[in-house]
Amino acid sequence: MNEMHILAYVKASAVAQGLALDEARAQRVASHLARTAHLAQLLEGFPLSVEAEPAELYQPLAFATTRSKVGAP
Amino acid sequence: MNHTTQEIGGLGSFALARAIRAGDCSACEVLEASMARIERTDGAVNAFTGKSYPRARQEAAAVDALRARGEALPPLAGVPYAVKNLFDIAGEVTLAGSKINRSHAPAAQDAFLVGRMQAAGAVLLGGLNMDEYAYGFTTENTHYGATHNPHDLTRVAGGSSGGSGAAVAAGQVGITLGSDTNGSIRVPASLCGVWGLKPTFGRLSRRGSYPFVHSIDHLGPLADSVDSLALVYDALQSPDPLDPGCHASSVQPVGDPAQGVKGLRIGVLGGYFYDNASAPARAAVTAAANALGASDMVEWPDAALGRAAAFIISAAEGGSLHLDDLRTRADDFEPLSVDRFIAGALTPAHWVLRAQRFRRVYRDRVNALFQHWDVLLAPATPVAAPEIGAEWIDINGTAHPSRPSMGLLTQPVSFAGCPVVAAPLWPPGTAGLPIGVQLIAAPWREDLALRAAHVLQGAGVAHLKPVAL
Repeated sequence: MNEMHILAYVKASAVAQGLALDEARAQRVASHLARTAHLAQLLEGFPLSVEAEPAELYQPLAFATTRSKVGAP
Repeated sequence: MNHTTQEIGGLGSFALARAIRAGDCSACEVLEASMARIERTDGAVNAFTGKSYPRARQEAAAVDALRARGEALPPLAGVPYAVKNLFDIAGEVTLAGSKINRSHAPAAQDAFLVGRMQAAGAVLLGGLNMDEYAYGFTTENTHYGATHNPHDLTRVAGGSSGGSGAAVAAGQVGITLGSDTNGSIRVPASLCGVWGLKPTFGRLSRRGSYPFVHSIDHLGPLADSVDSLALVYDALQSPDPLDPGCHASSVQPVGDPAQGVKGLRIGVLGGYFYDNASAPARAAVTAAANALGASDMVEWPDAALGRAAAFIISAAEGGSLHLDDLRTRADDFEPLSVDRFIAGALTPAHWVLRAQRFRRVYRDRVNALFQHWDVLLAPATPVAAPEIGAEWIDINGTAHPSRPSMGLLTQPVSFAGCPVVAAPLWPPGTAGLPIGVQLIAAPWREDLALRAAHVLQGAGVAHLKPVAL
């Protein structure tokens, strides 16, 4: 995305999210998002296999009838 | 009682714990000295946003009553401390550095770690300043004023736990609690010249603290000595099945960190961590390496990508967390960060998911590094404390935006979840200001980082310095 695309994205996605941005704020937000876009571009260059699952916090509760503690290190 | 108020003020928190235990001074005397120091200095420093003196008097009196009954004292009995104002304190509103949260109901109970401190006998003096909702590295808080660096009042204290760093540096309290998502304990520890510990991700419970980024948030202590840091860390440890981010299933006490580093494989991080460090920051690492007998340069895997992924996830989760308020009352947010929060709320899902998928691969690569090393060294900040209001910092001739760049060297490490002690060093070329060195260990090996820290302290390489306030 170039600067113009990012600004257009900010304005469109802000509407979708219910955020009212005046022009000055939209410009500032776009400059911040441009920095994030640059970092995202770096990550795009890193090869990830389909088996690379997200690192996340979710862990199911231990089933009520099991006695052993599940999943803790 | 054998100590005068002046003598009490000159003792570090570890010595105070011993003095109270030995009956050389009472918890109430120590508390009075700490409150007097806060009243004398905080007009200049602005570390405290709230003071819990009535509670502190009750807690100190309870310690003295225990002693009077001849009962055993817990490990931190009578030692004053304070907490970043994102920790719940029963009966107080948890501000998290914001104006918006002022209208929230007071906390019904203490945060889990505040409860642990109380059980250990510590005495809570109040809440400490921070960047709004922890999104910043400078504690230039528009609502509550900037926290000033006690070593140079024109400069920032670092953030987002800036009040936690400044309060220890100013000698107001010897122990504070902070949070660290991308560097928020290590950056203020570095800029204020105090010890800080960011434990392994998932080691300490975060229950009862106001979140910033659920995926990366850590809590931990700052202190005036390695001995206190270890003592507090052990007191804070406890599994907590009610915090989904607490992965510790048992307590692994550090105990005495004075075991030396013989046999430990200690290396110095090069590449990204060298390139993004100023000459004084590099000198600080060299001094620490010399004291630890470390000379080998080590490459941390994919540091720039780790920082990128941490940045993206932080922005997206932080923005999402506050989206309702951003929709309806954006003007009540911190002006220095509100646009970043909005940008975060608009982050495309693909970027976030890719960053989370990368994190799993990254974790494995970083863990593999610790097959060969026990402790790795790197600067905690690229430079010493910038002036309050500075928009840019210079790193080896390149201008970087000041506020986000102070975390350049801490973000890749916390994203992998490794424990880190930030050690306060005083390199040349900083006009007398400190720069911290990160002592990084494999996940769940806080003990190794603390042992290295104790060697630096014993060698006189890393230590606090008195301030003129």
